Amino acid sequence: MKSRVRVVAIIVAVVVAALAVVLAINVGRDPRADANRSRLLGRDAPAFDLPLLNGDRTSSEGLAGKTIVINFWNSWCIPCRQEHQALVDWWSANKDDSALTMLGIVREDTKSATQNYVEREGVTWPIAMDPGSKAALAFGTRGQPETYVISPSGVVVASQYGPVTVANINEMVGAARRVG
Amino acid sequence: MELKSSASADRIQSKSRVRISWIVLAVVLLGAFAFALWPRSGPESIASHTARLSREFRCVDCEGLSVAESATASARAARADIRSRITDGESDAEIRAIFIDRYGESVLLKPRGDGIGIIVWALPILLVILGGAGLGFAFARWRHQPRLDASAEDESLVAKERDGSNE
Repeated sequence: MKSRVRVVAIIVAVVVAALAVVLAINVGRDPRADANRSRLLGRDAPAFDLPLLNGDRTSSEGLAGKTIVINFWNSWCIPCRQEHQALVDWWSANKDDSALTMLGIVREDTKSATQNYVEREGVTWPIAMDPGSKAALAFGTRGQPETYVISPSGVVVASQYGPVTVANINEMVGAARRVG
Repeated sequence: MELKSSASADRIQSKSRVRISWIVLAVVLLGAFAFALWPRSGPESIASHTARLSREFRCVDCEGLSVAESATASARAARADIRSRITDGESDAEIRAIFIDRYGESVLLKPRGDGIGIIVWALPILLVILGGAGLGFAFARWRHQPRLDASAEDESLVAKERDGSNE
């Protein structure tokens, strides 16, 4: 009888110890840590073909060979307004560089609200609508603003969730140029 | 002699009655589980398949809602994507893999049955098994515990008390 009690106690102890080890290994890991980092980093950028606000179209194919700054945003998002001046400043300093371009992709907004914002705030870089949120889905966006920088070879080199600064964009563009 | 054999026949009868009730209980439980889990309808429609799979994924730009429940544009796009993949013949596992590849494991509302996620599924089962084993062990122990008979000393003590109270 005593030996049976010992066997049961050992089994329970082994199971509890195994669970404790697994928990100890994993307890310091944030299960949602992957939500703070784009899964696209280091991979080929998703292809897109989108209507621009001015009636033209833009596509990943058409922009191939350039370093592309893609900014997902919309007119009602407060952090997008917070980063607006940084985008204006960066664009005015770099718009004449033919190896670079910036594309704003509208996430979850109407065309008229976007048009009003663009006119009111003097946005001069290309702005694309995203019907059916296909590009937002392909980039795995979780909100806005989100900024991705694609190297001339078409690889997503950097990304940022939340508002960017001019220094952020320059750093990301620098990384993309180094990748080539 | 006859009394003895009748008592042992009663014991055997009572044991078999207990065994039968356990069998009946097991059959009823298994039947209930089978009834609950048995698919009642025909093949799943694309709409219900989309809804079922959409319930597995977290809406990425809203708190605590599934893709099936959310009305955001990204959730609608995710539902449309799931639907078109189902229509194209992709399996549930393939669609799950695409969403995990796009957003990471955190997109799943239900933890997966491997890695750390196995604890969530295995722990309750393990506790039930250990609890059942513990109960079985305790019952067996109680059954095998020797019956406590009164010793001669106990009986004389009781007799003495009785005599005393009669006086």
